[in-house]
Amino acid sequence: MITKALLFSVSFGLIILFYSCNSNTDEYNNSDNDILLDSNDVNNDHQKKVKMIFYNIPSPLEMATILQETVGDYNSEILNSFNVYNKYTTNKKIALNLGVYGADLSYTRMFDQIQASVNYLSSIKKLSDNLGIPQNDGSFTVSRIEENIDNRDSILIIISETYATADAYLKESGRGSTAALIIIGGWVEALYIATNILKEKNDVNKEILNRIAEQKYSLENLVELSKSYENDDINEFIPQLEELQECFDKIEITYTKGEVITDEINKITTIKSKINIDVSYETVNEIGIIVERIRSSIIE
Amino acid sequence: MRNIIKVIIVLSLLLSISSIASSQCKNFVKKHCLADLEPFVYDGQLNSAILTEGDIAELLLTLYAGQDYRILVCGQEILGDIEFNLFDTNRNLIFSNKDHDFTTNWDFKSNSTQQLIVQVIVPKQESSSSMLHNGCIAILKGFKE
Repeated sequence: MITKALLFSVSFGLIILFYSCNSNTDEYNNSDNDILLDSNDVNNDHQKKVKMIFYNIPSPLEMATILQETVGDYNSEILNSFNVYNKYTTNKKIALNLGVYGADLSYTRMFDQIQASVNYLSSIKKLSDNLGIPQNDGSFTVSRIEENIDNRDSILIIISETYATADAYLKESGRGSTAALIIIGGWVEALYIATNILKEKNDVNKEILNRIAEQKYSLENLVELSKSYENDDINEFIPQLEELQECFDKIEITYTKGEVITDEINKITTIKSKINIDVSYETVNEIGIIVERIRSSIIE
Repeated sequence: MRNIIKVIIVLSLLLSISSIASSQCKNFVKKHCLADLEPFVYDGQLNSAILTEGDIAELLLTLYAGQDYRILVCGQEILGDIEFNLFDTNRNLIFSNKDHDFTTNWDFKSNSTQQLIVQVIVPKQESSSSMLHNGCIAILKGFKE
């Protein structure tokens, strides 16, 4: 009888454990992300507990499109060379540089650098293979790349599918931390590219300054994402990202809520709020120095 | 000895169920959700989880000035009409799909870059059964160049 009771208790305990776990990550620190919302903020019920918080960081692809209108001339010197993928042999280095190459590829695509894009795609495939990410949907076949390489939109879709496949596969196989490392690598490389574009400009370009300053928001999300994992490979970035955050804290972004217009027919809502960004060239220069250091530790 | 074997069997079964549930959730998203993001480009970050009725999940994201975005909240049928709200960081409500027949996707555009919160609420179901339903929910973001 006691054994049966014990067996039931163990089984019940396990059921509770599994149902309370985050379904998609191994080391995701779920309980620490639970927050309490004030009832007045959201609804009339008593306090409701938020079960899970996700952090969305712009993908390398999105970062490139954000910078698209601000870029100057193509400069391959600022990118991580596509042919050094062989030196990345640990899970951590491969994942980080998979993100780096994603940002670099988005940059080459922006300038219609076809051969460079092919080269980066090939290196990305090799790093993906080394992480054990299957490309069974055919998005990564050489023939598909060759067929579409002169079509910017198709390349965009190939890049999107590639990183989406990697993210989904890693999360479903309990390797959410590896997916997060790809995001960190991509974000750092994109910011590195942006700060270098600024350096190359002869005059202070307010548009680029603002675009870099706006990364303050994404950095907040990135720090929170990094903290949500109990994983040494990710956690070692926290002090560096926090140092970067201290620098970003010098940037004042004031937000004023504006009119919200919803178009029912086209299912689109336009938010007409206003922000004022107070950022100096010196602060962004300082950001550039820190980013360069973080990026060096990633690509070395 | 027999009891130890039973415990091992139960443990293995539960581990399998958990793993299958997670994998099924990702497969559900791929099969039933991603197509609704078109013609927007999927940003590649899969935010999905198994949630139970009454649960709330949130996604913190940044919308960049002048970019077009689509937010898609996709849930399994068993969970009923999923509510999704968009707030600014001061918790001012910007959009609620409750006002739009619980649509699963909506497009957004902001004339200034800002941090927003997508909140997803799984409805409590009126049922005599004491068993709580759970199912897969995904919050996805697409963007346009």
